[in-house]
Amino acid sequence: MSNAKSISDTLDKDDFILLTGRANPELANSVGRILKTEVSCPISVFSDGEIRVRIKPNLRRRIVYIIQPTSAPVNDYIMELALMADAARRASASEIIAVMPYFGYGRQDRKEMSRVPISAAAVSSLLVNAGVDRILTIDIHSEQMEGSISRPWDNLYGSYSLIPLLKKRKLQHLVVAAPDKNGMLRATGYAKLLEAEGVALVYKERDVTLNNVSNTMGMIGEVKGKDVLLVDDMIDTAGTIVHAANFIKQKGARSVRVAGTHGLFSGDALKKISESEIEEMVITDTIRPREEVAKNKKITIVSVAPLLAEAVRRIRTGESISKSLIL
Amino acid sequence: MKIFSGSSNIPLSEKVAEALHTKLASIETMIFPDGERRVKLNESVIDEDTIVIQSTNTPVDQNYIELFFIIDALKRSGAKSVTAVIPYLGYQRQDHVFRDGEVVSLEVMIRLLESLGVDSVIAFDLHSIKIPELFHVPVTHLSALPLFVHRIKSKAFNALVSDNPKEFLKDTILVSPDMGGLRRIEQMSELLDSLPWIATVKDRDLRTGDITIKQFEGPLNPADLPGKRALIVDDMISSGNTMIQAAQLLKDNGVVSCDVFATHAIFSEEAAELLQDSSIDRVYVTDTVLVPEEKYFPKLHILSVVETIVKELQK
Repeated sequence: MSNAKSISDTLDKDDFILLTGRANPELANSVGRILKTEVSCPISVFSDGEIRVRIKPNLRRRIVYIIQPTSAPVNDYIMELALMADAARRASASEIIAVMPYFGYGRQDRKEMSRVPISAAAVSSLLVNAGVDRILTIDIHSEQMEGSISRPWDNLYGSYSLIPLLKKRKLQHLVVAAPDKNGMLRATGYAKLLEAEGVALVYKERDVTLNNVSNTMGMIGEVKGKDVLLVDDMIDTAGTIVHAANFIKQKGARSVRVAGTHGLFSGDALKKISESEIEEMVITDTIRPREEVAKNKKITIVSVAPLLAEAVRRIRTGESISKSLIL
Repeated sequence: MKIFSGSSNIPLSEKVAEALHTKLASIETMIFPDGERRVKLNESVIDEDTIVIQSTNTPVDQNYIELFFIIDALKRSGAKSVTAVIPYLGYQRQDHVFRDGEVVSLEVMIRLLESLGVDSVIAFDLHSIKIPELFHVPVTHLSALPLFVHRIKSKAFNALVSDNPKEFLKDTILVSPDMGGLRRIEQMSELLDSLPWIATVKDRDLRTGDITIKQFEGPLNPADLPGKRALIVDDMISSGNTMIQAAQLLKDNGVVSCDVFATHAIFSEEAAELLQDSSIDRVYVTDTVLVPEEKYFPKLHILSVVETIVKELQK
């Protein structure tokens, strides 16, 4: 990875501009600092709650990066992004890139039952219709979403930011675990990068005939005496991850850590985490950490700003995104 | 024909269905812990003409996105046509570039609705007569003015405002709170036996958004105002500030009563309290926007646009 100085030196600051909505201006400003460029927030709000966008800098023939994770309040942040894209288009930007470190509605990625919308696809296509030329995400819930628009979509991974910190923990006899059946690919990826001893899988077993408890846990893999790292793409209400962590500890693990890219921490997630066997939870700042998240003693936050800054630079210069940025 | 309702104004949707001797089609909205919503249609819509009723007032983004998802679900589930009844069309005041670098939010909303496959749109009293031109699908632009005229001509209303009901219209003038409402006020005048009208002049500071109203414009001489009864007509009441300042200026110039007629009750911030405490005597709005009970105030009267919508849907 290039260091901060060389990143900013290879860019002509006049031919691109960074914009941010209200979702995570701190992250956008960190990216701006690395690239040594100003970040403007063109959003204001009318008394009835309608958003107004006015972009003051000249955008003509410039690449516009709009940094906006669509976390809660998701509908407002999607609309801000769409309206900023429209304003940039009207101001003759040469390319409009939606940098969405977190992609809201990403879990509604298919018709899981009859007569429902594919909300994630509705969002991506509405962004394109508003003027977005390219989407850049980090750990989108399902990568098939890239096919929902006929434009370029680059998906990066939080592992780029998380791995260096996890390596510093010098975990002995490391086992990487997935908290559900869908997380196995991610777990094996982390295991390879961290040179772990093995992988494990925690799964839910529905066995209504044996007892009335709807979910009992099962596990594949050996965790006894190991330092276990559970990995997931997002920590939402934290129910699944806390259950898995407690189960692993119960099975004799020496310690249980969690690494996740997106920290939503909905409902009483923080309380559950505090009361759990989780020793440390490492997340990134794709979603702006609320004050109580930042203050939580078990939670360590690592920034994706260097990753985004490098991606912004490479999109600008036409270099490969996959080479050494995607771990 | 199946009628679905978004969550912004369910009472209005229910009344429309009832007037059409049917029931609202079943739809459920699930809210996840992180605030994301998922809509689900509980009835088949294959080869059906479908109607979705959703005003896009505050919370505007949530109401629009819900409408987008419902249209997406209807289209993906095989609906033959989707008509969006949007009694209040949010973002309609942002219909052109006011200053360099600004977004045309309404145009974005229209583009998004059309990209999802909406076949036609029905809306009420749009802020500007040019708004239907921004659409590429057919738009029916309905008006609440006939409802207001009907109320103004009613015996009950005349008894409320005048000691001498028969002479009522003789003492009455129409007022547009800004010159932008000229077409509306001329229409209204025509519907009310050519009542004379006057406009107040609104100065808006584009930077702060503050407005001041200090003078009159229009055919009526301000010197003739003393003793008159004013009917102020506008498309919407947002903060209430415009109406309140206009009414105060009218009363300062000798007008004896001020009644307000506005289609959309946006009532942002403290509008309800401010209107109640103002020199306005009565406020008439419609149910294009659902007024929550905590925003009711004694001077408020709500008329219903249900019949107008139903007549249009029956065409």
